[in-house]
Amino acid sequence: MKRIYLDHAATTPVDKEVIEAMLPYFSEYYGNASSLHSFGKEAYEALEKSREQVARILNAENKEILFTSGGTESDNLALKGVAYKNRDKINTKGPHIITSSIEHPAVLETCKNLEKEGFKIKYLSVNKYGVVDLDELLESITKDTFLISIMFANNEIGTIQPIEEIGKIARENDIIFHTDAIQAIGKIPIDVKKLNIDMLSISSHKIYGPKGVGALFIRKNLNIKPIVNGGGHERGLRSGTENIPGIVGLGKACELSMERLDRDTRYIMGLRDKLIKGVLENIEESYLNGHPKDRLVNNAHFRFTAIEGESLLISLDEKGIAASTGSACSSKKLQPSHVLLAIGLTPVDAHGSLRLTLGRGNNKEEIDYVLQVLPEVVTKLREISPLWKRS
Amino acid sequence: MCAAIYSEKVMEHFRNPKNMGEIKDADGVGTVGNPVCVLPETNIVGNPNLTSISSFNIGDKVLSHDSKFHEITRRFRRNYSGNIIMIKNRLGRTFLTPDHLVYGFKLPEDYAYYYTRNKKKLSNQLSWWHAEHFEKRDIITYPIPMDIKDIEYLKIDILKSDHDFRSKKIPLKIKVDKNFMCFSGYFLSEGNTRIQKSKTYTTLTFNIKEDEYIQDCLNLIKKVFGLDAKVERRGKRKTVYIQIYNTHVTRFLRELFGSNVEEKRIPDFMMLLPLEKQAELIRGLWYGDGYIDIEKPRASYSTISKQLANQIKILLLRQGIIPSIYEEKPRSINHVNHRKAYRIYVLGKPSLKKLGSILNVKFKLKKKTISNTWIDNGLLFTPITKVEKIEYNGPVYNLEVESTHSYTTESLILHNCGDMMTIYIKVKDNRIADIKFKTFGCAAAIATSSMITELAKGKTIEEAEKITRDDVANELDGLPPIKMHCSNLAADALKEAIKDYRNRKKSSE
Repeated sequence: MKRIYLDHAATTPVDKEVIEAMLPYFSEYYGNASSLHSFGKEAYEALEKSREQVARILNAENKEILFTSGGTESDNLALKGVAYKNRDKINTKGPHIITSSIEHPAVLETCKNLEKEGFKIKYLSVNKYGVVDLDELLESITKDTFLISIMFANNEIGTIQPIEEIGKIARENDIIFHTDAIQAIGKIPIDVKKLNIDMLSISSHKIYGPKGVGALFIRKNLNIKPIVNGGGHERGLRSGTENIPGIVGLGKACELSMERLDRDTRYIMGLRDKLIKGVLENIEESYLNGHPKDRLVNNAHFRFTAIEGESLLISLDEKGIAASTGSACSSKKLQPSHVLLAIGLTPVDAHGSLRLTLGRGNNKEEIDYVLQVLPEVVTKLREISPLWKRS
Repeated sequence: MCAAIYSEKVMEHFRNPKNMGEIKDADGVGTVGNPVCVLPETNIVGNPNLTSISSFNIGDKVLSHDSKFHEITRRFRRNYSGNIIMIKNRLGRTFLTPDHLVYGFKLPEDYAYYYTRNKKKLSNQLSWWHAEHFEKRDIITYPIPMDIKDIEYLKIDILKSDHDFRSKKIPLKIKVDKNFMCFSGYFLSEGNTRIQKSKTYTTLTFNIKEDEYIQDCLNLIKKVFGLDAKVERRGKRKTVYIQIYNTHVTRFLRELFGSNVEEKRIPDFMMLLPLEKQAELIRGLWYGDGYIDIEKPRASYSTISKQLANQIKILLLRQGIIPSIYEEKPRSINHVNHRKAYRIYVLGKPSLKKLGSILNVKFKLKKKTISNTWIDNGLLFTPITKVEKIEYNGPVYNLEVESTHSYTTESLILHNCGDMMTIYIKVKDNRIADIKFKTFGCAAAIATSSMITELAKGKTIEEAEKITRDDVANELDGLPPIKMHCSNLAADALKEAIKDYRNRKKSSE
């Protein structure tokens, strides 16, 4: 059976050029970058080349890039690293950290843990499109606030935040600004200097790189505490022998993303808009979640009245289409997505949500196939549903 | 969670569900859903009366979180045994199952109310939360119906009775103006109708010291009905009676406002009148039976009619005045028995200021007050004052409401049912001759529904009743542990359908 992958926000296939770049570093140049011999030097050079490739996509300096095991670790290091540096503020009134209610769990759960340790966190609300309220941000800031962490673009509904304005607010108030750009990188041009970003998390496997590797941009002269201690790798901020093949893959993936940004954007957006238009026109009581314009180029997030997302997902999988949902029935905790609740959907509405995220590899025929299959599947499930209007 | 978590049997039943659909002339129908329901005596705001949820029918209208009335499309009743959550706020108490969704939000732990803090920011956090997640201090909301429908005249179409030779003629059309509204307030507070063959009259009872109000009331009777009422003073009882000896007026008032004190209520049309007219009604009510303390400062109103208390609550909220309602237990003071009463308090600066201007009273208000209750966009935001868990065993109810999916109790807004399953059975010679289902839920929920129809078909009622959740899961070669509770409801739905079948049979015998 033909299989169509429309879950690129979950992960992406590794690009062939990326694999080629990585391969020599498994058994040919396998040295430890900390070693003083020639094997070590080869690895070190690869590491620094990758650092430059990552720095370039952000308009950062090489020494501002630090490699980690992935996006989750980058977020943890950014938040805890800054918080632990400011531990002396714990007894002030706060809030110490301002974040949003629709962050990825890597940020939200880290914040909750910091709360247990005594830090005070403010979770900004969002409007129905999932955009944070800048007035609320301004009002929340006090002299005790040392960190703002707002994601660049949301992983579920794809909404892009007003990062430039937030960066400006942070700079004017002398507050460190971190952004989780894991979904945005490779899809939106990012200039950390222009946007006044102090820290930024990225992950390799969302941009056609390998899993298990990521990076954190930390503006120079910004001091944070490490959360992993050991041999002092990565300027002492992230100890542990560097994952050279992975890092090489991340570097190459960044380079390719930059080269292909314009072409990919035009191509994927064309497919995505065709998909959204087709779904909304052909399926009654279907709605688009998230912002109509300010959204990631590859994100289409729908909700359908009277059906449940998990059964929709499995029905699509049976037809070879891979998708994702925010339904409670598909989550481990049987809780609906916090993002969908935050934009004002009821748990019942959240049940009927479907996320389709496109990638470089998708084509027009695949979208046509989805537009043929999806209405059939929705109709079938609605026939079973007691909530769908009676004929 | 992916398809890989399910057995091939589950997938088979999900792909091609057996016996899917409805049976129009079913002998028994059973519905189960997420256990989200309220107790049978829970009062729901209908259009416009407050009545217990068990007395509502499909097609009736209820108040939703958009502050408008919407039609009930379905009604559910089932037996429940387990924890029930009691949520109390300034408007009253509601008992509900822990999973029931309530419209409100969790107040941030470090949040403090300030004199000037803009509450609109807080209002933005509004969402649906499970009842069990709420704690004291968290904010829940209450809708304020703001629709306005003015009426200019009211017809009196009560015929003069045959043996009434004495009653003076009164106008057959009464102007619904400020005078009439204010008199209505006096009557609701102090009035009493007596209808007997030889004696049909209306009495309004005042304290001997309330001269000003007595005169006001007499003037209003003259203006509205063109009648001179009789004043009777009884010094010993410290009471003044205003008597209207007129059959027509008496019958008219009884029809409009209810016959005895406990059942007194404001007529439906008055609940929709413009705010200026309703303000006069509040004035009459308060002058009649209200309590005003300028020094404290506070105002209160007491009634033994639950309906009236609820209506006054809505009247006040429409004026932007925030009430608190307390139930006063029956008690005996100086050998006088007082029945269970509802006392409505108005406290706080903004509310007293508004009430003061209606009552022409200047309360001695403090310069600054901190308030944890506010009105925004047609909703009252107010903190929970108490949460309790109690054990319950008995019937519970829920409603499905068109488009808004929500309804309102005396104190909060609820969301109606979520996922669920309905089973229809057709019985012949005590055997299940036909069985069909409809299910909203995940693949496991659909597969278990399909499986139980297969298991039950052809079985006797007694055999079918014995099918358990585990039987269904085993027949499907097992379910993922996480799905065992939430999605394995089919056996319960079948039991409900059988119970429904037996009830129908019993009532037809």
